[in-house]
Amino acid sequence: MIFEKVVELIANELSVSKEEIKMETHLQNDLGADSLDAVELIMTVEEEFDLSIPDDLAQGLKTVGDIVRYLEANK
Amino acid sequence: MEIKPLKIGDLVAELPIIQGGMGVGISRSRLAAAVANEGGIGVISSAQIGYDEEDFNKNPLTANIRALKNHIIKAKKDAKKGIIGLNIMVALNNYEEYVKAAIEAGIDLIISGAGLPTGLPILVKNTKVKIAPIVSSLKACKTILKLWDRKYETTADLVVIEGPKAGGHLGFLLEDLENNNVELDQILVEVLEEVKQYESKYNKEIPVVVAGGIYTGTDIGKFMNLGASGVQMATRFIATYECDAHENYKQAFLNRTKDEIELVKSPVGMPGRAIVNKLVQTIKHEKVKVRKCYDCLKRDHCDRVNIPYCITNKLIEAAEGDVDNGLLFCGENAYRLKKIVSVKEIIDELKDEMLAY
Repeated sequence: MIFEKVVELIANELSVSKEEIKMETHLQNDLGADSLDAVELIMTVEEEFDLSIPDDLAQGLKTVGDIVRYLEANK
Repeated sequence: MEIKPLKIGDLVAELPIIQGGMGVGISRSRLAAAVANEGGIGVISSAQIGYDEEDFNKNPLTANIRALKNHIIKAKKDAKKGIIGLNIMVALNNYEEYVKAAIEAGIDLIISGAGLPTGLPILVKNTKVKIAPIVSSLKACKTILKLWDRKYETTADLVVIEGPKAGGHLGFLLEDLENNNVELDQILVEVLEEVKQYESKYNKEIPVVVAGGIYTGTDIGKFMNLGASGVQMATRFIATYECDAHENYKQAFLNRTKDEIELVKSPVGMPGRAIVNKLVQTIKHEKVKVRKCYDCLKRDHCDRVNIPYCITNKLIEAAEGDVDNGLLFCGENAYRLKKIVSVKEIIDELKDEMLAY
């Protein structure tokens, strides 16, 4: 459930197709996100899941799986 | 045109001119105080500011923090009522420690780029210190202002736009720079529109200042007519008596041609602009062996193994006067520098040109 939601957010934010997005997909290396896209994406995730991810941890969220696991642990 | 002061909240600079921070020993207390004394805003760069401290090689962080505090205290004292700012790169390790040290030492303004200064508002909370992100695109401006608004319910006191003609590291892709795909005028117009919503939400003015390629009072007039509240200029202040670098360094910028200024690769990944010298020629085809790591940049920004050269090492060599092996960062108009003058002479000339505009 969390994974599907995250995929949807990423597809919208980065204008990529949902099929491209897997747990191991790297936001910058695989989806061409730049550092600004990454920050925007984290803000969107925070809004959708109604939580706040501390800056230092947010910077460590590099793959789709990183985001999903963070959300599962902190939801 | 009439010379309008630059107002950043309760800080008022008589002249709408910020001297851009120049890393590793180029803009420290001497240059910053001289500019502030002439009515502009003097900016000290925190980058390896303690490079000439005795214990720098052994413990760069301690040496840098000590030197940063000392230079801020000295600049504030020498500048009397002038405004002193800090330029600090987000990509630096120990960013928070540097910012805290600068606040303790009495800094007035913090200008921060080379990444998004996401956490800066917390660090200045309950102080009078003003904060300004450096952006190179509307996108960066949008992202940082949105983040500060959402997370900290605050906004910028000033926005600095660094355009494609700036010196040092540039916030653009190499191909966009080479094909002239970006124009500072255009980014300014877009950023002015973007800050409006935050000006009304927080009921304050957010001055926008432009940087990169600004050389004369006419340039200043042109950008202020477009809506900028001022400019940030760095390169011109290299060729001054007061610039903190070695005499050889200053001389190395004089009487260059346009062709002697190129875009270079930097370990940080972003392109930079510099004077073509032995180092720049060398790194086109080989790496310069890294002997020691100063742990200056966050791991994400410098991989330490595949880098073409060590940026700290090369900027220190430049500041110390080794102009063949050091890295001579500069803005696009550096070829216009002809002789070393005083800060006052530059400012007087700029004022005359602004009044005549």
